[in-house]
Amino acid sequence: MSNPAASIKEQNKSAASSLLRRNVRKFMNNKLALLGLVVVVAITIACIVGFIAGVDFNTPVLPDMKKPPSSVHLFGTDTIGRDLFARVLVGGCYSILIGVFCAVMSSVIGAALGAIAGYFGGKTDTILIRISEVFQAFPQLVLVMMLVAIVNKRGLGNLLFIFVFTGWMTTFRMVRNEFMSIKGETYVKVCEAFGMSKNNIMFKQILPNVMSPIIVSTTTNVAFFILQEASLSFIGLGVADTTPTWGNILNAAKSVSVVTNQWWIWLFPGLAITLFVLAINFLGDGLRDVLDAKQQ
Amino acid sequence: MDSKEIILNVEKLNTTFVSDKKKIRIVKDVSFQLKRGKTLAVVGESGCGKSVTMNSIMRFTGKNAIVEAKSIQYNAMKDGKIEEHHLESIKEPNGAEMRALRGPDLSMVFQDPMSSLNPVYKVGDQVAEGLLQHNKGMTKQEAREKVLEMFRKLGIPDPEERIDCYPHQFSGGMKQRVVIAIAMICNPELIICDEPTTALDVTIQAQIMELLKDLQVNDGKSIILITHNMGLVAEMADEVCVMYMGRVVEFGTLEDVFDRTSHPYTRALLRSVPVLGLADGQKLETIPGATPNPADLKEGCEFADRCPECTEKCRKGVIPCYEVNPGHHVRCTKYSSFPEVE
Amino acid sequence: MLKFIIKKLLMMIPMLLLISFIVYFGLQMTGIDPINFMVSPEMLSANKENVEALRESLGLNDPLIIQYFRWLGNCLRGDLGYSFDGSSIASIIKVRLPYTFELAGYSLVLSAIIGIGIGIISAVRQNGVIDYVGRVLAVLGQAVPQFLVGIILIQIFSIKLGWFPSANRVSPDATNAFVDAFVHLFLPVLTLTIGMVAVLMRYARNTMLDVLNSDYIKTARSKGIPEWKVYLKHGFRNAMKPVLVILVFRIPMLVGGSVVIESVFSYPGIGLTMTNAIVSGDYPIVLVTTLIIAAAMLICSFMVDVFNALLDPRVRLGE
Repeated sequence: MSNPAASIKEQNKSAASSLLRRNVRKFMNNKLALLGLVVVVAITIACIVGFIAGVDFNTPVLPDMKKPPSSVHLFGTDTIGRDLFARVLVGGCYSILIGVFCAVMSSVIGAALGAIAGYFGGKTDTILIRISEVFQAFPQLVLVMMLVAIVNKRGLGNLLFIFVFTGWMTTFRMVRNEFMSIKGETYVKVCEAFGMSKNNIMFKQILPNVMSPIIVSTTTNVAFFILQEASLSFIGLGVADTTPTWGNILNAAKSVSVVTNQWWIWLFPGLAITLFVLAINFLGDGLRDVLDAKQQ
Repeated sequence: MDSKEIILNVEKLNTTFVSDKKKIRIVKDVSFQLKRGKTLAVVGESGCGKSVTMNSIMRFTGKNAIVEAKSIQYNAMKDGKIEEHHLESIKEPNGAEMRALRGPDLSMVFQDPMSSLNPVYKVGDQVAEGLLQHNKGMTKQEAREKVLEMFRKLGIPDPEERIDCYPHQFSGGMKQRVVIAIAMICNPELIICDEPTTALDVTIQAQIMELLKDLQVNDGKSIILITHNMGLVAEMADEVCVMYMGRVVEFGTLEDVFDRTSHPYTRALLRSVPVLGLADGQKLETIPGATPNPADLKEGCEFADRCPECTEKCRKGVIPCYEVNPGHHVRCTKYSSFPEVE
Repeated sequence: MLKFIIKKLLMMIPMLLLISFIVYFGLQMTGIDPINFMVSPEMLSANKENVEALRESLGLNDPLIIQYFRWLGNCLRGDLGYSFDGSSIASIIKVRLPYTFELAGYSLVLSAIIGIGIGIISAVRQNGVIDYVGRVLAVLGQAVPQFLVGIILIQIFSIKLGWFPSANRVSPDATNAFVDAFVHLFLPVLTLTIGMVAVLMRYARNTMLDVLNSDYIKTARSKGIPEWKVYLKHGFRNAMKPVLVILVFRIPMLVGGSVVIESVFSYPGIGLTMTNAIVSGDYPIVLVTTLIIAAAMLICSFMVDVFNALLDPRVRLGE
């Protein structure tokens, strides 16, 4: 016991790593979550590989239009003869990008604002809560549509901005409420008594306690934003048609004749979305089971 | 012993929980008897299986619990005649047979009055519910009168007004009185009190215990009191059952257990009770080590690792129970010269 | 209780004003000259002075804030203004709003009954067949995009089987108004219900499981009352509150969903009106439709509060 501080540090380190190992083991035992992770990773890699390999997704081959799946066109071709397999791969890249970017960004913004509102309370809290209430007075899709109307231009960047702008409220509420309750705990009082800076207390002492629900909600939000983009693209307000996304490809299914005669045009992108979202949801549920402190 | 004197006889009760396909034995071969009109105190550290034992008898354990017993015999006294009920043979935990007993025969007071009352119903209605269930044809007005009477008996002030209040308008002590009223309203023979005062202030604790003592003395109720408060045990109990890691380690009358303490665990437990007037420098003793995890138990005595008198014999097989005095049972190899029981 | 309701109702007014203010100014930022809505481009270039006079008389040269209040005053008097093509917005809304109410209302009621029902049964018979099937369906229902469900339903029921029409709300040659409403509403309502049921079922199940684990359920059992009473009187009543709250809380999802579903089924409700208005840049309609939806949401959250109070004595008695 020559250096007690170091030994405590060592102990903490080994405790943390055994907790991590236990969580990993718990996650591995959850078959559905593991399957979810595998599917998510597989689809993502396939899409990225397709994108980097530079598959041709944009050249219409008019004689080949509306061809059913064959060895040349694995998923068939769309209404103007573009290869659907290539489009689903590249569209996947954009869809996953939209999902991940928006989920991460809105969690970051939501968490930061939630930390501020929850920790400082008072007027700051009231104002931020009121703002989030105004946002929540709209169904998110309607809010997005209104912003699309205001921005009046359909590009990927605009869409990303709009999704993040309208997507931070749920994380904000959650983080704020957690902060409110953790703020009262003794260890925070101790930190304050030590004279730690507010930034330090908020982001280094309290935030790690809220990380688990944030990680879980970020994961499930990826699925949410992908579905949201698909809906928006379907009604014709998503990203411009030159950038393929899963939703954009499905937009073709608005025509009844496509629905009836060319099942492959809507089935394959539809399956891609469903599979990916399903996998993400399994993954999110698995993470929730592993990270939920109440169950440990 | 005959069934007139004994109200509850439990033999070799085992409760096993299944979680993640693993079976964990929480209650192991528990046997005890309760005499009519007496109080039995069940003591032990948290997690030793006290509550699970009682919940197993009442069949309140969840769907993942397996309850087995050689015998759980409850002898009801109805108009001077004895009715025998064999609880171990009742299959449905919440079936008609078990339900008919809950309320008029067996009832239970739970640990936490804060969460034991349904927040959305008036307390009077919650007390009357059991009454109306077991007395077909009773009108609501009659039930209300009975509830008012019970409230008065339990010392709830302004019963006429309080009967129409909701649980959140009551203090903790008053809530526990309402919970006791629910348990008492059908005039049961046996009341199981699962740490009835742990969640309450010290002054309220004394009042509630006084109330229970009165009920027992005046109405001749039999009470099982689960607690880890040794002071309460000394004050309330006729007989004491000490449990450790799901086993009964010592069972006997209050005098047997307190004055002729035999099991090392009981001795350690009694020594760790704070006493007023502890001399300067005299330290309050604690039991070394922590309660082991019930999932990874070895053979032998469960207390062996923490026991100051542990020997080679303690590490092997299942330790039997020895009768050191008539009715005084101890599960410890030190007494192997005495006759084995069970 | 009455005081509580009035207080909550009064609190909605500033909220609604704030939202209308934000939406109004938001749409002004698009930089579209409202004069274009009223006067054809040829006339605009031909009579510059007249147009300027028109501007003046319409008050378009006044500061925005004055215009806003004038517009607000008109709205309160029932004059919602005119759309691009000159039709009265009030009359469009009058026809189409009830259609959306029908769609969302029926879906809400149906999904509440089915979702909560299955959820409760799943909890009571945990790990039973219904629980298992319900959980699989819930996971699937949350993963398939709603419009795809709609497309598949059209494919099966309209095209293959020909049982229901795939579009519109009224047929021109309808003889029986009720039958006509039923066949047109069936598929869109079914689509929306599937999505809602998936969410509600899961939530109702988990809430009921939580409630069934609480101490007062044990107290109820200790009285010896029958199991159905334990589940319904003590369990369901307590699970009801969070479930109803989530039900009303999820109405935005329903409204958002109905915007998309109206598009799938070419169902002439507010959502389709709004979608088309955004695509064609018909801002007066966008303004009014968003406000209607926002007002509907505020009413929903008001209903959450009232339900909460009705079901929970702690809230009702103001503590």
